[in-house]
Amino acid sequence: MMAGSRRVYLDHSATTPTDPRVVEAMIPFFSEKFGNASSVHFFGQEARSVVEKARREVASLIGARPNEVVFLSGGTEANNLAIRGVAEDLLTHGRHIITSQIEHSSVRGVCDQLEARGWQITRLPVYENGIVRLEDVRSALRPDTVLITVMLANNEIGTIQPVSEIGALVREVRNSGQRHLRFHTDAVQAIGRIGVDVESLGCDLLSISAHKLYAPKGIGALFVRRGVRVTPQNVGGHQERERRAGTESVPSIVAFGEAARLARLELDERSAHVSKLRDEFESGVCSRVNDIVFNGDMSKRLPHLSNISFRFIEGEGLLINLDMQGVAVSTGSACSSGSLEPSPVIRALGRNDELARGSIRFSFGKDNSAEDVAHVLEVLPRAVENLRRLSPLFQQSVSDRAKSPEEIFVAS
Amino acid sequence: MPYSEEFKDHVANPRNVGNFDEANHFGVETNPACGDTLKLFLKVSEGRIHRAGFLAYGCPATIACGSAITELITNQTIEDALAIDRQMISAKVGGIPSRKNHAAALAIETLHHALTRADLSIRLAVEAKQLSR
Repeated sequence: MMAGSRRVYLDHSATTPTDPRVVEAMIPFFSEKFGNASSVHFFGQEARSVVEKARREVASLIGARPNEVVFLSGGTEANNLAIRGVAEDLLTHGRHIITSQIEHSSVRGVCDQLEARGWQITRLPVYENGIVRLEDVRSALRPDTVLITVMLANNEIGTIQPVSEIGALVREVRNSGQRHLRFHTDAVQAIGRIGVDVESLGCDLLSISAHKLYAPKGIGALFVRRGVRVTPQNVGGHQERERRAGTESVPSIVAFGEAARLARLELDERSAHVSKLRDEFESGVCSRVNDIVFNGDMSKRLPHLSNISFRFIEGEGLLINLDMQGVAVSTGSACSSGSLEPSPVIRALGRNDELARGSIRFSFGKDNSAEDVAHVLEVLPRAVENLRRLSPLFQQSVSDRAKSPEEIFVAS
Repeated sequence: MPYSEEFKDHVANPRNVGNFDEANHFGVETNPACGDTLKLFLKVSEGRIHRAGFLAYGCPATIACGSAITELITNQTIEDALAIDRQMISAKVGGIPSRKNHAAALAIETLHHALTRADLSIRLAVEAKQLSR
């Protein structure tokens, strides 16, 4: 097959294409039904009613009440509002936050910023399987802990964290007198891929991004449990019950609502489809490429994602090779201005720089097919081979293996 | 800045890969900050580079610059090869994002290593050949 004739998108953890049914639902709200949802007249009320309908759909997807859903611009804003909003609200009760070493940069960034402002942050390790341990959460708790923020599933390796266990622990601690402890989870990667229910998770706040759910970019939501207060980070308007000022993006909210409805109805089908493709892909890679390491727990992980470190080579070079043959993937590592920034997530698993640099994330979506997997399995081994052929690390390893006593024994 | 088509072509179809029997000069440099490594193998006689090969581990820019410098120096005099600067390498690959400029610097340092530290270079070339057997 000629390079460029087939394009295979395997980067659904970065973003998803907007579902045509979702596009169709949102289109009338650009020009025909353009009202401001805060206006009292007909145009405004028409917009208000669809915003509230979408809110019910999003609430229904996560088992929440509609008034517990705050619309905002996306996952990053949701994480900012949740963490900084709780930290500022509970300032007089304590300044200690517990998080993990593998959070998304938007959680990491807010925690780092709060740390610089005087909060104390405990960043829990994840061990080789990429999963936080409940006993570590328990032993990190202090009387002045106001917030635990641990993601539901990791964006690079897909590992599912023990969020409902942490939720139960939080309830237990609250019942024993530490009433002000709050629990937030970033569910951006998990939503639409596994069932998410705020009651069984026991979280007080939960972040969602619509564009991981076949809706457009620029819209998301924060679940804020009834009775939980967050200090607004966007002020100057009464929208979203004073929790997020700014005119609602009605077309995007409508799209989000429709995408949430479809995700709820099609969840089982989508999960089964992507996990089948992912498993076929992984067994195909294992039989075609040597010297690879899978990153993260192989069972407690999202069904659509596979993270593999290819030894002796670097991720971005492999990404370019694959891109030139029509396959879109992503890598967590980057080398910038001569200093290496290997993926903090892969490093947190205890992997060395070489493995952290050689990691590639393949993330499948509902529209991928078995032909897509076959195409990737055709081009990936060649791309890896191409880079290894010019890698001094690979040459060294070939010569080391040639010299090893076992090899000599086998040869004779 | 996105990578240019020439840049991506050097990454996907690198020129002059690897060591070869007649190589008599060898250079290796590693960027201590990021671990990127470039190795150059040259056949030099009568003041001229007749053939060049490379191996590289690291970011795409290190691969592209390694590939580009082998093309730039083949059939050049040592004097001309030593005059190659970062801009010439960058031009050869259709431009390098500024955050990746260090890759062109690594290619030049490796070349200088191979050409100016000849005793060491020849000894390493012999070792490299033994290694590749």
